[in-house]
Amino acid sequence: MDFIIQAIVSGTLMGSIYGLAALGLTLIFGVIKVINFAHGSCLMVGMYTAYWVVKLTGVNPYFALIVVVPLLFVFGYFLEDLLINPVLKAQGDVREPTEIIVVTSGVWYILDNITLMMFGAEYRVVQTAISGKSFELGQIIVSTPKLYGFIATIIVSLALVWFLKSTKIGKSIRAASLDREAASLMGINQYRMYNIAFGIGTAIMGVVGCVLIPFYYVFPTVGVIFDVKCFIIVVLGGLGSIPGALIGGVIVGLIESIGAQFMTSTWTELIVYAVFLTVLFVMPSGLFGEKRDW
Amino acid sequence: MRKWNIRRRGRRRGMMNNTKRGFILFIALAVACSLILAGSPAIAKTKVVKIGNILPLSGPSASVGLQGKYARELATEMINNAGGIKSLGGAKLQNVYVDSKSDPTVGVTSAERLINNDRVNILSGCWNSAVTYPATQVAERYRVPFIVPVSVRNTITERGFKYTFRIAAKDAWWARDQFEFLKDMEKKTGEPLKTVAFVYENGDWGVGMAEQWKPLSEKYGYKIVLNEPYPSTASDLTPVVLKIKRANPDILLLTSNASDAILLTNTMAEMGVKPKAVIGTGGGHADPMFSKNCGKNAEYMFDVVEWEADLNKPGIPELNAEFKKRHGFGLAGESVDAFASVFVIADALERAGSTDPAKVREALANTHLKSGPGMIVSYDAVEFDESGQNINAGIVMVQFRMVDGKLERVSVWPENAARAGFKAVFPMPKE
Repeated sequence: MDFIIQAIVSGTLMGSIYGLAALGLTLIFGVIKVINFAHGSCLMVGMYTAYWVVKLTGVNPYFALIVVVPLLFVFGYFLEDLLINPVLKAQGDVREPTEIIVVTSGVWYILDNITLMMFGAEYRVVQTAISGKSFELGQIIVSTPKLYGFIATIIVSLALVWFLKSTKIGKSIRAASLDREAASLMGINQYRMYNIAFGIGTAIMGVVGCVLIPFYYVFPTVGVIFDVKCFIIVVLGGLGSIPGALIGGVIVGLIESIGAQFMTSTWTELIVYAVFLTVLFVMPSGLFGEKRDW
Repeated sequence: MRKWNIRRRGRRRGMMNNTKRGFILFIALAVACSLILAGSPAIAKTKVVKIGNILPLSGPSASVGLQGKYARELATEMINNAGGIKSLGGAKLQNVYVDSKSDPTVGVTSAERLINNDRVNILSGCWNSAVTYPATQVAERYRVPFIVPVSVRNTITERGFKYTFRIAAKDAWWARDQFEFLKDMEKKTGEPLKTVAFVYENGDWGVGMAEQWKPLSEKYGYKIVLNEPYPSTASDLTPVVLKIKRANPDILLLTSNASDAILLTNTMAEMGVKPKAVIGTGGGHADPMFSKNCGKNAEYMFDVVEWEADLNKPGIPELNAEFKKRHGFGLAGESVDAFASVFVIADALERAGSTDPAKVREALANTHLKSGPGMIVSYDAVEFDESGQNINAGIVMVQFRMVDGKLERVSVWPENAARAGFKAVFPMPKE
């Protein structure tokens, strides 16, 4: 039975990191009601930023958070301001402007290819103090960097919930997400709220970047690997829902990990999609999605 | 037939337009030739043996095509400087190159052209298996010997052809030699090996390798405890590593691309999975990124390769330095086979004492090339079997070892070609 417990432990740890990656996507969707196709690229930017900070300064990747997260916030803030807000403004009365899909897809290609041009296609791994570290709990081996990832996920989610529930900006963001016009009438600058929400979404990618680099490699299209997973997780958990993203992530992680113990690992993807479709069939708005028309 | 007519007509019209200029040129050439002939009677007797080389000199495979070309030029130069083919009165080798563009159709027309227009005595090429396959067919029809230095597709020498001779190992032999190596290690170290696990990327290449491993495992008496394909783009390979851990195999055979090879190796180190032997199949494990990114985690893993620059064979360091000086990069598997092929040709011509294709073929079929500057390959002799396959062609087993604090690929098997001072560490140390 040890192997099942081992599979549950490693699946939960990896799944929580998937959930963290999906958190940014769900936040951006929940607030701006646009699907950010450049989400994977933002993750890639986060990973490269973390990589270079750690590589150049040699600091512990979790100290690097202090630099990486604000950088990514600024990056997301201005990316949204320059590219997405103009479209939103032009499409003022459309609730879900589909043009954003085209814009964010463009951002995806441009970011990936600029990175390719700047750093080349090679895989980069940085050796950090905790790379490859693990400890044993009885027969169970726990990977230290993944455990830290799990802890980071919990801290980030709690902080995010607190921020949205208790701060003035957080409340304004929620107001803007509930009803743009009403929020505007209350004196909330909705576009500013979108800036901030997008900035927070990408800042979370900075956290994911720092969490991933001790055990994962960086390359220009690394985002694509996590992108598809994030979309599944977000829809599975319910678009716009924070606990949904986390639970969805853990579900996908567990299916991958436990499923692989009973079949070849290429088949676990099938299970993930089967569960995904079943959930959508039974609960069209996802596990934690609100039952209303977005 | 019609094609030939068109060409004839074209040429005639060209001549008519330029009759006068052509005539003057002809006179000038005749005068020049007679002057040269009169001046040096020795050259007049010297025959030339033409080798037609079909190589991918443009397109995606151009870099390997060029490596083959440079290697042939170097070998030809060495042979000609050493007096050419002595049994043919010091005949010089002359290379004619045609660009195949990696296109099978171009390969076929090039072979036809080299045989009919350039009147080459021997053909060589084509690197791409897809080009070599039909091009050798043309050579067979015209009964012109065709030397294949590198093209690994099994079937190239499995069609009962009489005029095709392949120097490189067949595709299937890579898997065979992985098992040969294991048996040899088992015998030498007395370490019993009983179980084997296959872990491979789920593409054409990985699945194809696993299909070859299966019957070989049975033949060599290893029990398959895990047969696991995985997606090359996986974000997490812990589940796969966990499975390896549970299966607890003595031998782990891998076929991976670069990124997954790195992830797999590092995750295995993290989970403390250490089979007695871990063997890669080139590809990702041969990528310089792998050594760079895995560091100590990859220590004592094995990988197969056709040739490695640290082989303990006379002449390799000098030759490698000379090649590097001329072209800016060192020798590799492709260029070494091409280099050796020219010496195989020279050896056959020497023994045939004729350029008659049938006689050259006979000589090639009886090749026993054991020494000479061309023998920088990893095995001891070039000998062809009935089908024209070099029966000794084999691969080199390299082991990842820390040399001066850096992870290096060290040739360890076959033992007579291993890097000086190195021996395979087997089984993998537990700590």
